[in-house]
Amino acid sequence: MFGTVNHRRAKTLYRRYGTKVVSYALLILLSLVMIVPFLWTLSTSLKGADEAIFSFPPKFIPEHLTFENYKAVWKTLPIPLYLRNSLILTFFGVLFPVFFSSLAAFPLARMEFKGRRFIFVLVIATMIIPVEVTMIPIYLILNKLGLIGTYAGVILPNAVSTFGIFLMRQAFLSIPREIEESAFIDGANVWQIWWKIMLPMVRPMMATLAILSFIASWNNFLWPLLLLDDSNMYPLTLGLYKLQGVFVSNMRYIAAGSIIALIPIMIVFISLQRYFAETAFSSSIKG
Amino acid sequence: MYKSYHAWFFLLPALVLLLVFNFIPAIWVILLSFMEYNVIQPMEWVGLANYIRLANDAEFWNALKNTLYYWFLVTPALVIIPIFVAVLVNQKLVGIKFFRLTIYFPFLVSVVVTAIMWGWMLRSDGVINYALSLLNLEPVSWLTKKSTAMPSLAMITIWQGIGYYMLIYLGGLQAIPNELYESAELDGAGFLRKQWHITFPMLRPVIFFVAVVSTMAAFKEFTLMLVMTEGGPLGATQTVVYLIFEKAFRSLDMGYASAIATVLFVIILALTILNRRFLDRETS
Repeated sequence: MFGTVNHRRAKTLYRRYGTKVVSYALLILLSLVMIVPFLWTLSTSLKGADEAIFSFPPKFIPEHLTFENYKAVWKTLPIPLYLRNSLILTFFGVLFPVFFSSLAAFPLARMEFKGRRFIFVLVIATMIIPVEVTMIPIYLILNKLGLIGTYAGVILPNAVSTFGIFLMRQAFLSIPREIEESAFIDGANVWQIWWKIMLPMVRPMMATLAILSFIASWNNFLWPLLLLDDSNMYPLTLGLYKLQGVFVSNMRYIAAGSIIALIPIMIVFISLQRYFAETAFSSSIKG
Repeated sequence: MYKSYHAWFFLLPALVLLLVFNFIPAIWVILLSFMEYNVIQPMEWVGLANYIRLANDAEFWNALKNTLYYWFLVTPALVIIPIFVAVLVNQKLVGIKFFRLTIYFPFLVSVVVTAIMWGWMLRSDGVINYALSLLNLEPVSWLTKKSTAMPSLAMITIWQGIGYYMLIYLGGLQAIPNELYESAELDGAGFLRKQWHITFPMLRPVIFFVAVVSTMAAFKEFTLMLVMTEGGPLGATQTVVYLIFEKAFRSLDMGYASAIATVLFVIILALTILNRRFLDRETS
């Protein structure tokens, strides 16, 4: 008798807490798998020169925690320069797509004009042209324009995002008609309507697009690799890639450099996390 | 209110950029595939020569085979695993947001940093081999052995992609009306039965979407191969796009590289049309 009672109690206990315990166990395991490479890199970057990096068993917590590698990287390697270059490229890599997409999406959403449908279909059609296919002609065009070895060359191929136009159009479509009608009555011109009335209303979508562009340009590797020869112009991704080849022996420096490259991404990610779910959902419309 | 020149004024910058960096290149790459061009000498029309060369090029077939192998390793895993992860993180648990963010974060990391981190993890004296040694398994030199190089890269891609597809599935899960689960519960369905009879059928369009997106991503991948293995060992991780990159920018064989790119273009277009067809059928 007691047995059945206990059995039943165990069952309700399991119903109540069992799935929770299993869920947490799985979640912790999965999160560990996701962050172990980062932890290992962080740990390597904090290990002193006299401490072995690869030991069996691996040591995740350095014996003598030191920031020497970061200081050394900052002083002896061009990491601050690369960081500055990355910031410049990322600034334009965010500004241009957000600006040009917001410009182009406005008439597509709010104006009646001849050829609107055609232009919209054209814009959507470019979404299926992957850069991996077109990188050769793009390179040749940049060459013709004399933009090899310049930041303009790195920035321009991604200066407008078709997906961005699509996103911004969705946002503009949701604004009620009356708003611009009353603005017209008040004597606002088209530019003012766009800048002062429309843009403030689509700010969340602009933020979403800005984040997508930030991640894309901070991580941009293909165009810097193809276009930039002068090592003084390298952004952090390309710089790390080249340094990794040269400094095979000093992994602590490379680890410190990698962590430095991760910090801006982490800051943006943590401070703007509520937008990230949206970015993923909205990019799922993309197909 | 609006005049049509207003529209064109707003559209102009984007249209010029799209024209120069999307449309013209898309047409030019096809034209270029019928030419021989090494940047120094002028272009020369060679007809189908590049395609004939392609059909007989063992390197191309090897790259295509490798791409299919990579796709085979990556896409099923990225279609299936994130469903379970999404179900897991769709529960109302304390701290669930933290777990979602942690699982998603690897997706945001640049290919260079990913390559650096995983290069160390996969070294013969690295963390992965230590974990294996705990199970009494021999260490493997993951990236320098022909049989393990591509699976290692696939594993990294899966690690990086799980969180992204998890979020897409999560959106799909949250669109499923709760009443379906509630009525199933009244009928006495347990956790697993509910997933099998409600979650999977309701997620079908999302599953298809993820399959297409991850397939296209797999066909386009090459930076991971470039920074981790340089296509090696012995061409084992040389993918189609890697070959395009190598032929175009290392051998300056622009015409031939464009022929490979055109073939890839056709594959991508076919996948896109397939996707559209399916979506139209689902929505009608």
